[in-house]
Amino acid sequence: MRLSFWLRWSGRDLRKRWPQVVAIALVIAVGTGVFAGLGSTTQWRRESNDASYAALGMHDIKLSVSEGSTAAAGRLRRLVDQADGLDGRVDVRAMEERLIAPTQVDASIDDEAILAPGRLVGVPVSEGGPRVDGIEVREGRALGPSDDGQPVGLLEVHFADGRKLAPTGALKIAGGASLDYVGTALSPEYFYVIDPRGGLLGAMDFAVVFAPLATVQRLTGWAGRVNDLVIGLRPGVDRERLVAAIEDAAAEGAPDLGITVSVTEDDRSWQVLHDDIAGDQQFWNVFAGLILAGAAFAAFNLAGRMVEAQRREIGVGMALGATPATIARRPLLVGLEIAVLGAVLGVVVGLLVDLAIGSVFEDLLPLPVWKTPFQVGVFVRGAALGVALPMVATAWPVWRAVRIPPVEAIRTGHLAVRGSRLEALARRLPVPGGSLSRLPLRNILRAPRRTLLTALGIASAITTLVATFGLVDSFVGTLTVADRTTLAGTPNRVMVELDRFHAVDSPEVRAIRDLSVVGHAETGVKLGGTLAPLSSKGGGAERSQAAGDRRSEVNVLLEVRDLDHGEWVPPVSKGRLPRSSDEILLAAEAGRDLGVGPGDTVLLRHPVATTAGSTRIEETIMRVAGLHPSPFRFEAFLARPDVLGLTGSANAIQVRPAPGRTVADVQRAIFGLPGVASVQPASAMADALETAIDQSVGIFRVIQYFMLFLAVLIAFNSTSIAADERSRDHATMLAFGLPVRSLLRLAVVEGLMVGLLGTAIGLIVGRLVVEWFAVTLVANTLPEVGITAQLATGTMTSAVALGVAAVAIAPLFTLRRLLRVDVPSTLRVME
Amino acid sequence: MAFDEVTTRPTGNQQGRSTGATVAVQMTDVSRRYLVGSSEVAALEGVNLEIDEGQFVVVLGPSGSGKTTLVNLIGALDVATDGEVVVTGRRITGASRAELSRFRRDTVSFIFQSFNLFPGLTARENVQFGRDVTRRRGEGGDVAEILASVGLGERLDHFPHELSGGEQQRVAIARALATGNRIMLADEPTGELDFHTGVQILGLLQEQADAGHTVLVVTHNREISRVADRVIELSSGRIVRDGPPIEGKVPVDELSW
Ligand SMILES: Nc1ncnc2c1ncn2[C@@H]1O[C@H](COP(=O)(O)OP(=O)(O)OP(=O)(O)O)[C@@H](O)[C@H]1O
Ligand SMILES: [Mg+2]
Repeated sequence: MRLSFWLRWSGRDLRKRWPQVVAIALVIAVGTGVFAGLGSTTQWRRESNDASYAALGMHDIKLSVSEGSTAAAGRLRRLVDQADGLDGRVDVRAMEERLIAPTQVDASIDDEAILAPGRLVGVPVSEGGPRVDGIEVREGRALGPSDDGQPVGLLEVHFADGRKLAPTGALKIAGGASLDYVGTALSPEYFYVIDPRGGLLGAMDFAVVFAPLATVQRLTGWAGRVNDLVIGLRPGVDRERLVAAIEDAAAEGAPDLGITVSVTEDDRSWQVLHDDIAGDQQFWNVFAGLILAGAAFAAFNLAGRMVEAQRREIGVGMALGATPATIARRPLLVGLEIAVLGAVLGVVVGLLVDLAIGSVFEDLLPLPVWKTPFQVGVFVRGAALGVALPMVATAWPVWRAVRIPPVEAIRTGHLAVRGSRLEALARRLPVPGGSLSRLPLRNILRAPRRTLLTALGIASAITTLVATFGLVDSFVGTLTVADRTTLAGTPNRVMVELDRFHAVDSPEVRAIRDLSVVGHAETGVKLGGTLAPLSSKGGGAERSQAAGDRRSEVNVLLEVRDLDHGEWVPPVSKGRLPRSSDEILLAAEAGRDLGVGPGDTVLLRHPVATTAGSTRIEETIMRVAGLHPSPFRFEAFLARPDVLGLTGSANAIQVRPAPGRTVADVQRAIFGLPGVASVQPASAMADALETAIDQSVGIFRVIQYFMLFLAVLIAFNSTSIAADERSRDHATMLAFGLPVRSLLRLAVVEGLMVGLLGTAIGLIVGRLVVEWFAVTLVANTLPEVGITAQLATGTMTSAVALGVAAVAIAPLFTLRRLLRVDVPSTLRVME
Repeated sequence: MAFDEVTTRPTGNQQGRSTGATVAVQMTDVSRRYLVGSSEVAALEGVNLEIDEGQFVVVLGPSGSGKTTLVNLIGALDVATDGEVVVTGRRITGASRAELSRFRRDTVSFIFQSFNLFPGLTARENVQFGRDVTRRRGEGGDVAEILASVGLGERLDHFPHELSGGEQQRVAIARALATGNRIMLADEPTGELDFHTGVQILGLLQEQADAGHTVLVVTHNREISRVADRVIELSSGRIVRDGPPIEGKVPVDELSW
């Protein structure tokens, strides 16, 4: 028999079930399309990163002068020129000196206080500079030679966008000088903004201002001086050799400057943008896998039904002596045709996903160049899956069907109907109501495999939804805890950080204390340290074996404050507050990571201020007095500063506004006072995290819409299969005069039961996925934040609503068919 | 009432069967044509018919003669292209779908050649379905009693696939009985059964007619028509003979085929 014969025959099969065929093709399309779409992001981000860094000429080598020092302009350049074996004209594309200075930026608009620590980046603006670590203007205008020395600059775009600032405006910087920003800008070192103080707040809370070199020199009082030099090399130059040569030259020619030589890969922002990719992809893969699983279940479901409907024909074929291979041809052709349709539609869906995710990424990670090209390789893989899925899905039931003895396959009428083992159970299961109310459950139990496939298909859609929502819930829940612990009782606290340690009775501290807007001020100490577990035995200073493993070390921000009389003390979830010098209060998360609880001891590595004014690192054994519930793992509290050698000095002040004064009033008054490094509301950290979450929710939204669509498709598919199978029952009921609405009710109840089963499975698995995200993925990418997996009631109800609604509404799509059913001919057909 | 109440000859109430003259079915110039492609196929053509209540009627004819079409029209499963069908005083030609549905629920019950029991329900529940669908609870005896009356008192909780064909057909009759409807339409009820079992089924149907039901049995088996009160013979969509069996009515146990 010729191929055209088989094509025609299988084509009739397709036409007969076209709504199901289209539905299943769409399911496969959504599955493979989302898979391919999500799979493309890795490549996009790599390409976009590379192109962006190349477009703005990210530095290959950077020389930084030690903090606080500067060099006369031209001196760094000469140092490089003198480096051994370096030919400036051949090796170097461009080399520029800069002056980078920490500052405070006041971008307040009207009544909103926008004050943030930041930095001024003085760059050459003549000759089209900067040509290394270039600046891309997002909005407004670029800086030109005529701006040199003028009070103008460009505001880094992450901060401008994060704080919703206009594209141009006025700034005030530390010392009271004014500076107009003429636009917003991006630069490679700030593609991902990292707060040099190590906070989580980055983008939102760190204001970078690019300004002409002469302008920065004038504003900082460092006329004619620089502290940084960036080099862009020509392609093919041996960078490592040059780095070594420059290091030698710097050590020899400028030991006073304490120059550090770094390369592209040392840049923290560069590292984050590159390290992020693998973790994110792992995350997307989970979703893609879930979606694909849903598509697979649905494909098996339909293919199984189609082959079952042909069971008799298969039996006849075998009775006529056809080989299994011949018999398998028709259903497999149908499978192939669905596969091709699915794969083609999959490319369309994939392109839609690409479009949606691409635009979300462009918002989330502003880069000068975003490349979101069609990923042929990923799509070929997706399409291959899209073809393989329905093929396997048909091959399996076909294989089962050809193994049934022909006599059984051609058996007709009453004898063909067989029950499942579960049916025996159903007989004993009491169901209230009449014969009709028993039917839905019976129907479900009669075809347990199909029920399970449908339920699993719906479950995978629900799982994905629960996982995406649940992740957001977990973040929000964590935030709520953070808000509660940091703001407890004193929501309007303002945290002031000083530029260095000052005596508690120094003029700088007193100036703050004495402000009229300040109602109450408490001095404290904030200092970075590292905690490591001690071996449990002995309690001596020897470190446990695990301590060598960096994982079991926890970086902490030690906060010393008056825990006896202080206005704000951290809440304690276990144990008690520290009282003596050797006691410490840890975040519960830190306790877990270190394997310690109240009463245990830990090793604290910390700086100690010496009388000479310098610091040295020391190790002290501390007793864990208690744990606090803040999700920020790095928050640790001490009662006394003596361990740190800092008795009588402070570098942080907590301020409560005077009655009638606002947080903004306090911020404005303290901002710009001598010795002040930053002024933040206590809620700043939580606020910043909230913004970060809001942004990442965008991608979840994209996934959620596709999931919704998938769930409805799967539900529609399974109901239409069920309606198909029940057509004979339905015709009989209609012959007995049962109204269509009763039939519909039966279908809805049956759907509801399967939907509930699927939803229950989806909720459980979804919850596990969230747990897994929280425990492994988030813990690896954001170790500083202890995310507790949780599902909000809203998430659960909407998951249940969706799962149940999708399957319960689906029968309505079959209403038309029910109304049109030709009772006499349906009853005449003998299956 | 959405149906036209049609007064038929002679007037009488539903219990007035003793007069022997209440009309159950009245068909006037009924035709049923199908459009197959561009040509028209007449399944029934110009049929005029009156069936009294309590009669045991056999519709006889070769394959394709229009027997199924005839009972489907009476049972309101199908709608006539021309003419008028009145069943128990209700004109079912021109009624809406909902009205037809209600008519079937209240008036007729079907017995099919291939049984069409609900595979998901046990024997008892299948019969219960007949009861539930008309919502005439408490009438016409207990479901188990009905099943016992068709000889299946011991198989109450068996699923259809656990029963033989004859047993399934008996359940189907019990289901039809449970509706309490007065008209039973059986299309080839013995078609899938052996002789012995077929005779049992016919006996059961005869009992229902004796109990006052109007029973229409469709068959192409001339032998079966011998047990009828009246034989309506169809050929190519037309009634070619209508009257008592030629050799007179015989008891069911005298049949042989
Ligand atoms: N849906 C339909 N479309 C077209 N023609 C039909 C349809 N249903 C029945 N017919 C035609 O009407 C005629 C009568 O059919 P019907 O089913 O009433 O015959 P029957 O006497 O019951 O035959 P059998 O003994 O084989 O069941 C046949 O010629 C048949 O082809
Ligand atoms: Mg027929």
